[in-house]
Amino acid sequence: MIWVVLTFTFVIISIMPGDPVRAMYEQLIQQGYSPQQAESETALLHRFRPTGNIAEQYVEYIGSLLRFDLGQSMYTRVDVGDVLLDAAKWTVIPVLLGTILSFGLGVFIGVYAAIKRSSKLGDALTMSGSLLRGIPDFVIGLTLAAIFATLWPVLPRAGAVDIRYEPGFNLDYIFSLGYHAILPVATYTISAYGGFILAMKSSVVTVLGDDFILAAELRGMKRSIIFRYIARNAILPLFTVFALSIAAVFSGAIFIERIFNYPGLGMLLINSIGRRDITVMAGALLLITIAVIIANIVADMFYSVIDPRIRRAGERV
Amino acid sequence: MRLAWVKNHPTSPTEFYPGLASEWEVSDDNLELTVTIHPDATWSDGTPVTAEDVVVSSNIAYTRGSGAFILDPGAAGAASDIEVVDDKTIQFTQDPENPTREFVNGIMNMTIVPAHVYGDLLPADFEQTLEAARGDDDAADDAREAVAEAGEAVVGFAPEEDISAGPYVLERINPSEALLVRNEHFHNDHLVAPDQVIVRSYDGNEQVWDYLRAGELDSSHFVAVPADVVQQIEAVPGNEASRTYSPVVAGLAFNQSYEPFDDIHVRRALAFALDREQVVNIASPDGGVAATTTSGMHQEVLDAWVGGAAGDLEPFAYDLDRAAEELEAAGMTQEDGRWIQANGEPFEVPIQVVSGFSDWIAAGENMATQLNEFGIDSEILTAPDFTVYQEEMAAGAYPVGFWLIGLGPSPYNIYQRLYGQSNGWQVLAGQLSYSEPGEDGNWKGGPETYEVEGHGTVNPGELAHELRTADEARTNEIMTILAQTTNEHLPVVQMWDYVNTQFSNNTRFITDPPDDARRVTGVTSLAGIWIQQGWVTAVE
Repeated sequence: MIWVVLTFTFVIISIMPGDPVRAMYEQLIQQGYSPQQAESETALLHRFRPTGNIAEQYVEYIGSLLRFDLGQSMYTRVDVGDVLLDAAKWTVIPVLLGTILSFGLGVFIGVYAAIKRSSKLGDALTMSGSLLRGIPDFVIGLTLAAIFATLWPVLPRAGAVDIRYEPGFNLDYIFSLGYHAILPVATYTISAYGGFILAMKSSVVTVLGDDFILAAELRGMKRSIIFRYIARNAILPLFTVFALSIAAVFSGAIFIERIFNYPGLGMLLINSIGRRDITVMAGALLLITIAVIIANIVADMFYSVIDPRIRRAGERV
Repeated sequence: MRLAWVKNHPTSPTEFYPGLASEWEVSDDNLELTVTIHPDATWSDGTPVTAEDVVVSSNIAYTRGSGAFILDPGAAGAASDIEVVDDKTIQFTQDPENPTREFVNGIMNMTIVPAHVYGDLLPADFEQTLEAARGDDDAADDAREAVAEAGEAVVGFAPEEDISAGPYVLERINPSEALLVRNEHFHNDHLVAPDQVIVRSYDGNEQVWDYLRAGELDSSHFVAVPADVVQQIEAVPGNEASRTYSPVVAGLAFNQSYEPFDDIHVRRALAFALDREQVVNIASPDGGVAATTTSGMHQEVLDAWVGGAAGDLEPFAYDLDRAAEELEAAGMTQEDGRWIQANGEPFEVPIQVVSGFSDWIAAGENMATQLNEFGIDSEILTAPDFTVYQEEMAAGAYPVGFWLIGLGPSPYNIYQRLYGQSNGWQVLAGQLSYSEPGEDGNWKGGPETYEVEGHGTVNPGELAHELRTADEARTNEIMTILAQTTNEHLPVVQMWDYVNTQFSNNTRFITDPPDDARRVTGVTSLAGIWIQQGWVTAVE
């Protein structure tokens, strides 16, 4: 699978039109650089373009990856591995945080919506889930940015932290990190929340009709114990949805980070495509694709681990 | 930090604002430049800036082949000798084989780095390699390759701390911002008002608009801004806009390999059929001024070089009757309100633009609308990004598309853009050659020579090439001929001259540079130059 991803990444990048040197030259001309100034700025890039035919480039690419060598950025000459690691923290942490928040909210509200499914509030909660599930995450991001960063500018629209604060374990820096993360994390949370509500409500409704719940009620068990039975059984499918949501949100980060100029992997990928920074583009594309695949595999494995019925069914076969 | 900042004067390429250089003297024959470093210039670690720093910086410039530091045989405007006169004085000599007026510019624009930090990055025998690289045999080729390879070590080098001879030192940086703090060793520190500067990166003009609308920026360089957004920005207390000359012109370029755009009557018809005022009002009302004619130059540069003769050029004022006459002269007829070519095919004008270039897209849409109303089938086609646009345009994929021209104020730069590689002329080993349309990057596909009224047969590529080395009188003559050639034969239709719109906020600091200091190009932030010259002052 990984080999397929590697090859696919290589093919996409190889067939992508656009010369990085020419791109940078014309961008500088657009910015008002004279042709001589632009030539001077781009002179060294010529030396870092891929050489050889497509087969040689492919062998070199695979060989480098086998040596865990992702190469260097054409523009900054920094190792791509370091560039990716630096960007990954700005994607992984907000994505995880947003997904966990939406999971918690979705589970809680989903259970409530299922129990109150015949009430207006239950209908309203279900409808909110359906609506949010249908809205693309970038629309949610743009809406939040328009409201809280432009019309009523109380939250920052760009960056991950205020540069004036010394990086480290100090309150100013941590507060600044949180303050800048509010809009991206809120976007991830809202965009995944609808799916969790609907899945949880549906799961709870199914479990409510199971015989063991009826038996528990007939035996006169306490409501809190019955609720625990419902929750433990109903939440199982949600873990799969959770892992899949991480994958979906991770790939959606490309748009969200673009909206908030948040310096994660998605932003890195977009910038590298615009500049045709081939090595960074390949690295970012590879990492995002592999992360999504791994999240899907983990979802599959996790489900069989936490649900004894799946495990036993597998053993019988 | 640079030796100096080029003023971009419309006709004089050798006027500067001082950087590390406090004085400079150019010999009458333009072959020698003597530069004196400011006596108090000091690096931020307390080490004085000396001639040795300039020599090391020149050597690094050779590894990039930038400015006057070119080793290719026959290269114009190349430095042939660098001599240290004393600890603070350096003399540069231009190769007399192929001298240019921009030689001085290429030296003064150089970035100076500290020799005690960068000096060891180049091989010990680098000076000998440089000397060997000035020849034209195989050994010289090898030496030039060795010089270029030496540059890789410089590019990959990241000093542990920033050592600067400018007004600030880099304190820290993240992907969105950089924090600069005052360099108390800076020789003009008394002129510097802000103690700290935060430089923000941006990823699209809209982000800069947001910063400006929120009043978060003390200064912003040029970004294209729609009229309504300009109003919003100017409504913020303290925000001010300044508008000045920008050495860039937006043109509608033709690939004359496509019929009927090879017919001058067709190109003239399109020039008459487009109301440029209307286009600019819709596309870029605050960032451009409708071109008064097509000359290949910005109007201000045209006035400076051609003077009164500029009035003799055909203005191509909006005139649908004349547009119709030209189309009829091209053999076209009008049927049911639509223009039909002599071969019976409808006349179609596809206008290529780029996704994300809001002014080009708005202009293209307006132009297509105007042409359709006139009976010409027209539509805009959008390339996904500028990189693809460049590649496909160079490959000859677009019959008509936007193209930046008039990249002045250097005369050579201006006409190199029109009559350089994109139109078939290229310089190899100092020699000019012409390639047929479709070959070697010739996508405009114009003829090699034109018949120009009053000047006979004109080879515009040769004249443009000559601009690099011509003296002022000859430059004046060539500029007049090329302006007329461009006006008569329209390889492009000049749509609008860009206006450099810059914003500042005077709540905390007053930004008041002279007009020509707003024209400096090739720098990340003009405000950095203004601060060190003392043109940014704190509000009392």
